[in-house]
Amino acid sequence: MRFQPILRRTFLATLLSLSAALFAEPAFAASQAEDFVQQNIHKGLELLNNKQLSTDQRRTQFEGFLLGLTDMKRIADFTLGQYRRTASPQDLAAFEAAFQNYAVAVYQSYFAKYAGQSLKVTGSQQRSGDDFIVATQLIDPSDKSGQQPLEVDFRVRTDGGKPVVVDFSVAGIWLALEERDQFTAFLGQNNGNINTLIAHLSDLAKQFRSN
Amino acid sequence: MRGLWALVLGICGLALTACATAPMTPEMIANNDPYEATNRETLKFNGKIDRYFVIPTVALYFVLVPEGGRRSVHRFLENLTLPTTFVNDMLQGEMKRGSQTVARFLVNSTIGFGGFLDPASKMKIPDHGEDFGQTLATWGVSEGPYLMLPFFGPSNPRDAFGLGADVALDPTNYIHYKQHLWWFAGQKYFTILDLRAQTYTTVQGIQRSSVDYYASLRSLYRQLRDNAIRNGRAAKSEELPDF
Repeated sequence: MRFQPILRRTFLATLLSLSAALFAEPAFAASQAEDFVQQNIHKGLELLNNKQLSTDQRRTQFEGFLLGLTDMKRIADFTLGQYRRTASPQDLAAFEAAFQNYAVAVYQSYFAKYAGQSLKVTGSQQRSGDDFIVATQLIDPSDKSGQQPLEVDFRVRTDGGKPVVVDFSVAGIWLALEERDQFTAFLGQNNGNINTLIAHLSDLAKQFRSN
Repeated sequence: MRGLWALVLGICGLALTACATAPMTPEMIANNDPYEATNRETLKFNGKIDRYFVIPTVALYFVLVPEGGRRSVHRFLENLTLPTTFVNDMLQGEMKRGSQTVARFLVNSTIGFGGFLDPASKMKIPDHGEDFGQTLATWGVSEGPYLMLPFFGPSNPRDAFGLGADVALDPTNYIHYKQHLWWFAGQKYFTILDLRAQTYTTVQGIQRSSVDYYASLRSLYRQLRDNAIRNGRAAKSEELPDF
């Protein structure tokens, strides 16, 4: 009879761990991050390669694709660096909108350079439970030089429920990191005035779209 | 050559002395760029040299030499850097990469007609570069504050020292012959021309998309150097910022 409480406790513990295993959200595995990048970037490159689309159609579709793939708000907030802490909610919202507009224009121009190439996932690294770096290579089928293909890494976060790309690096250069260095330097030169940065980003986006 | 180096170092020294009195902002300290004010002025100076002297020469080079020829010149110049790369491979204890450098040099110098062709890449012998700045980094020497050198562009004390040391480390510089100085000057001239021709579109793209061109160059330089020091291996997790 003395065994009864122990048995009850063991039974309860087993039941609890079983229900945890059954009902807990499955952890996002590194291979899933790799599949996510492979499928989505392939989709993006296909979109840029699609000759049947007009320039405007391609631009609109690419914008939709990019916004679905990335977490622009998170990237925007990151690029403000230390100025994010002191920004008013209104300034922050205006900056996030201006950044999205700028990033879509600039990223489209970056990706357009690689139209016609294909992407090969070469591995991944897990920083934490919800933070992955997926390594890829861009293969140019027309390149006969034998030179090593361009290495592009994607940083994927899964803490928001679905996987999103928060940064990517080309040949070791992380774009959001470079943008943060630029924006904080610009704000340092302009007394931390976020509205000046917003105006500048809007001008740059206009220039990119007009080309 | 010593005279030119003395002049360059003199200008750098004067520039740094001039900015020593400039007040430092928290951003300068945070960015490890205490000479930012002078560096920005030097970038403007370099921009003028680029605009009025380098770009017109590059334009002429584009007109006179077709793309295939420019590619061959690039390969030839790259082949000439391999002895220095090999010395730095050895100093870093990178035996495998060192043997690849030797293999590339032997293959491209012979069946590649002095390096104008690149059969080594077709034979899957990978290409890489090394310099003494990277060697110092692998020995644990920190980069020091960011510097914008007149004529040479983005750098830091470690890499600036490495730039000079690479001239001393290049074994071919110890082969003395009558026209040695002219050969050396010609090699450096064409290296600048080739580098600018190779990077023309990229630099234009950075200038067009930059909010702050100076800060963009600083960030790109540091990230590129870090990647080169790691020999392209993935950055350690803790080296990347949290989002």
